[in-house]
Amino acid sequence: MRFRARITSKSVLELFIQVSGTVTKLAKVCVLRVCPDRLCFCPTGLPGEARLWGEVKRGVFHHFCMEGVSEEFNEIYLELMSEHLARAVKNAGSASSLKLQLTNKLRPCLTVVVELPSCPGHTRAMVHDLPVKVLPRRWWKECTEPRVWASDVSVYLPSLKTLKNMVERMANVGDRVLVEANLNGKMNLSVETDVVTIKSYFKNLGNPPKAVTGATQGEDPENMVQVRVDNRKLLLFFEGQQINPTVALCNILSNTLLHLVLVHDGVSLQYFIPAS
Amino acid sequence: MLKCGMTGGQVKVFGKAIQTLSRVSDDLWLDPSEKACSEVCEFLSFNIWLYSVLVFVFSTISMVTLSHDEFKLQIGNKGIKRTHNVYFQDSQPLKILFEKSVCANILMIKPRLLSEAIALLTSNQEEITFSVTPGSFCLKSSNGESLDLSSSVYSEMSFGPEEFDFFQVGLDTEVTFCFRELKGILTFSEVMHAPISIYFDFPGKPVVLSIDDMLLEANFILATLADQPSRVSSPQSLCFSQVQRRSDPTQSNAQVGKSQASQTPESISRAAPKRLFPKEPLDSSSATETKRVSTNQDNISEVPESVVSDMEEGPGLSCLRKFSCMFFGAVSSEQQEHAGHPLDSLATASDSEEDASG
Repeated sequence: MRFRARITSKSVLELFIQVSGTVTKLAKVCVLRVCPDRLCFCPTGLPGEARLWGEVKRGVFHHFCMEGVSEEFNEIYLELMSEHLARAVKNAGSASSLKLQLTNKLRPCLTVVVELPSCPGHTRAMVHDLPVKVLPRRWWKECTEPRVWASDVSVYLPSLKTLKNMVERMANVGDRVLVEANLNGKMNLSVETDVVTIKSYFKNLGNPPKAVTGATQGEDPENMVQVRVDNRKLLLFFEGQQINPTVALCNILSNTLLHLVLVHDGVSLQYFIPAS
Repeated sequence: MLKCGMTGGQVKVFGKAIQTLSRVSDDLWLDPSEKACSEVCEFLSFNIWLYSVLVFVFSTISMVTLSHDEFKLQIGNKGIKRTHNVYFQDSQPLKILFEKSVCANILMIKPRLLSEAIALLTSNQEEITFSVTPGSFCLKSSNGESLDLSSSVYSEMSFGPEEFDFFQVGLDTEVTFCFRELKGILTFSEVMHAPISIYFDFPGKPVVLSIDDMLLEANFILATLADQPSRVSSPQSLCFSQVQRRSDPTQSNAQVGKSQASQTPESISRAAPKRLFPKEPLDSSSATETKRVSTNQDNISEVPESVVSDMEEGPGLSCLRKFSCMFFGAVSSEQQEHAGHPLDSLATASDSEEDASG
């Protein structure tokens, strides 16, 4: 088993730091899945069956090479403490390079090497050996990529900051928030109690192309597709996530699932909240 | 009898010094002399208890009075004068003989660089290691003891000689000492806007962290872990040797014969001649010059770990019982005459000898 990867692009470095930071805010333990074409973050133990899935495509790495457990099963699953990784890369924002390598130093480690500029013309290397557990194959099924059902509606999200503020305020009022959207680029967030209902209306958001073709013939595009989810889970994601996405959208499977997708340059973050 | 008045700037320094020392121990030993007012803090020790008082008042102290009978802090502020009588006990003088200039390795660096590096190392460390070769300086954190995921991350960071204001390495070595104290000292040094000098040799011999400034001279002597197997500066062997050390302290301290005693400064004088890289001047000086005199003189070399831990203050200080002794000297604005021996003879205490119970 071998794994060695290096990031030299500043923007990718920034994204990697942000994804690690997000993961650590949502879960204590994370499984890093090293695949031939990408690196996946699979944090475990999120409350109430919510799931987070992060991916960094091979193409954004300056260098990426891996050799899995076997030819047939060409992947490596590494379990580690999210905080260890987040802390190791946290100050790498000004680094000239970030290297990840699977090593064996008395026990398996993910060695993170951050090259920082010191005096002009010199760099300083910071090395962290993160203890990891190499998961045997029988545990791999715990960390499969979440299945994305064909959604009933898909819409681009409004500004994440605005959303976060809304959800924060709504969390003060009620436990569950209703998220609904339609194929005309409209999205509503609402929370309801015996005494009060608060509803936010977003329009002109636009729908991703897929959704349009997936629409059932004759269905009214004004029709709102709904799902009610736990407010805290939603808030956890908005508070924890740090990336500034170029694409942010949400898929709703009627009364079943809310699926948020954030993408930036080969790095993606997906969050799945089941209906409650 | 000391009567000492301070201006605002001096008060700030005095207060910061007390704060730094208070991070190490609850007890403080104050020794006034003509040229300097020195504060020494030590663990197995005395009951002068400045800490709680000074936390609140140091920012406005204007007069300190110390004599056989009383220890007063007087605060004058906007026409109101408050006097605090601080509880204290007389004690025997502490004589520390240590010549830092004969250390093989002398480094001087801006404290900010070290602080920044230390901040990048994972934070829940008890110990930190300095590892030097003529071409590099490396900061290393301790390695986790357990073999599960939650054990701490091992981190290291290298500096090149060009980052130091002064870089003299005569001895390839690694020394390990208490992380918490280093942090406190670096903070103090940053406040003073003065570079910090580091003097050290082989493991077991104390490391001296020195801050020299117009207003004061501070020397912090920290004991280092003794008798580590000779290491290559690679994490793997570091891990290995540390694991070995922790699981079997008697083995690693076999040379000294007493696993506990080797971790106190007293053992330095015994360990010194057997070190891996003996150098002429060190051999002759180490035996005598690292001796430390205190009221517990009889007991220190015999102190088993269990007793030491009884005397320690609280949780999180498990490393501190293995290390000890910080020394701080503050100078007045008058000229200092003692050339190169600021650590010498201090004021004589009274005749009454108090029992140093923890």
